[in-house]
Amino acid sequence: MKMDCRILWSFLLLMVLAVPLSASAMEMDDCLGCHGDADEVGDELFIDADKFTPTVHAEMGCMTCHESVTDEHPDDGEAVTRADCLDCHEELGGQYMATEHAENAVCSDCHNPHQVHGIEAVSGPEMNQQCSQCHDGIDVMDSHAEWLPQASLHISKLPCITCHTSSESYVIVLNITQKQKKSEGLKGYRFSSYADLKEYSGEKEIQSLIDIDGDNHISLAELRTFNRNPAYKNLHLNGTMVPGEVSHDLTTLDNRYDCTFCHASGPGSMQTSFLSFPTEGGTYQRMSVEDGAMLDTLYGTPNFYMTGSTRSSALNIIGLIIICGGFIMPIGHGTLRFLTRKNRQH
Amino acid sequence: MAEEHEHQIYLQPIPVRIWHWLNAFGIITLTVSGAQIRFPEYVSLLGSYKSAIYLHNAAGIIVSISFSLWFFYYTFVARSMANLYVPKVEDLKSGILRQVKFYFLTYFLGWDNPHHPSPDNKFNPMQKSVYLAIMFVMMPLVNLSGIFLINVDPLRGLIVMIGGLKLLAVLHILLACCLIAFLPTHVYLATLGRTPTDHIKTMWTGWEDEEEGHGEEQQDESKGEKASSGN
Repeated sequence: MKMDCRILWSFLLLMVLAVPLSASAMEMDDCLGCHGDADEVGDELFIDADKFTPTVHAEMGCMTCHESVTDEHPDDGEAVTRADCLDCHEELGGQYMATEHAENAVCSDCHNPHQVHGIEAVSGPEMNQQCSQCHDGIDVMDSHAEWLPQASLHISKLPCITCHTSSESYVIVLNITQKQKKSEGLKGYRFSSYADLKEYSGEKEIQSLIDIDGDNHISLAELRTFNRNPAYKNLHLNGTMVPGEVSHDLTTLDNRYDCTFCHASGPGSMQTSFLSFPTEGGTYQRMSVEDGAMLDTLYGTPNFYMTGSTRSSALNIIGLIIICGGFIMPIGHGTLRFLTRKNRQH
Repeated sequence: MAEEHEHQIYLQPIPVRIWHWLNAFGIITLTVSGAQIRFPEYVSLLGSYKSAIYLHNAAGIIVSISFSLWFFYYTFVARSMANLYVPKVEDLKSGILRQVKFYFLTYFLGWDNPHHPSPDNKFNPMQKSVYLAIMFVMMPLVNLSGIFLINVDPLRGLIVMIGGLKLLAVLHILLACCLIAFLPTHVYLATLGRTPTDHIKTMWTGWEDEEEGHGEEQQDESKGEKASSGN
């Protein structure tokens, strides 16, 4: 009897918990019924359902931010309230409000709340889209080229926030890229989409291309197997550095001007890495890569070379042997020359 | 002037000397800055990492341009590139062996060098073979790979085509190590003249003392060696 009571209570509890979830889902569908159609509500109030649905904000439901909406909306004529970003993002917002940026742009100028994703779910180039809305690419390149060696390489490979951040730690994020086809009219590599990788993985999940044992974690051996697999010769891993924590204090810490912050062998901050897989919804999902083997991981990535950081100790030894070889003649011959010097005194 | 150089031959023309010393300082600069770029934790001779990179790039470009001028000068102006740097059949058949025998045996017995340099035949067969590898294979490759590494972003497509950035960097470093290894050997061999500074002075002034009576020795050592006719 006691058992039956427990089951009954558990069932009731589940019902109570499930009601708001289903109501939330219903509300979003209701809202998107009108707001998902630009013709009906106009461009300003249009919500792109494809972009909104995969966001964390969508999981919370429309009412979380627009709590004044009633069942009679829009016939009730009531203005719809909006939550303030700082209600939830207090710390980040506080950091941002203290910067000069806050005088020029509010949160929604950079982050569309109906499309925004966390740092884990976006690629490096996508992180830069916010910046490039105001900062002209040529100006950025010119101002960096004044003092930064290989400015174009740094700017093309790193998100702006890698340096313009107060985050002390970094992680390495590897993206899968692929050779562009002739039909695409461009040479070089572009980020592979979910559909691109599905062509390689077939029935299986795209993660299985690298995570062979399906344990949701990539070992060094798996990474090497992927890099060496001739079937994936058109796929390359593209590594970049991303701040370990998201910060909105966009100043640059002094140590970032010291090249050896990154360009030295094995900085502690480069030990954590992830592989970023594209998702069906157009975002990215990170999978952890074997810890403490970051530099080894990068050695396994043919097109990733960071001067000073990814140096191979095997190559150092080979180089040293070659250089030492250059001293055999002076030392060996020189000794014999000294010992036989009398023979040449004529 | 004529009397001053009566017993001397003009072995190293000005363009060659300028090129040589430019190369020497350039390669030393590249070695030191390259070491700092690869081992910033241990080498900081040139100050900041950034200055090491700028200096390495500048020295690399100067050495590359100087290499191109050297190539142009010997091929099109002096027109002696093939004659000086490409070993002849004779050199390969007996010349190298004779020179090896001299350096590693008869030199210690006090015999004279079987090769007598002339403006048309500056290098002994061993030198020719080594310089052929250095000047026609290693230098162009190290210069080219360096130019690629300076322009990684604009040349990304080409770099991927030749096997990736990592392969390029490894090639650059290994070639650089080979060239660095050549330096002590080169400097040491330069002291094997009649006096230890003889050859070094020649590379500074252009003039080398003519060796006396080498004609007879040469007949004993190498019948028919072309070098004798030039002296």
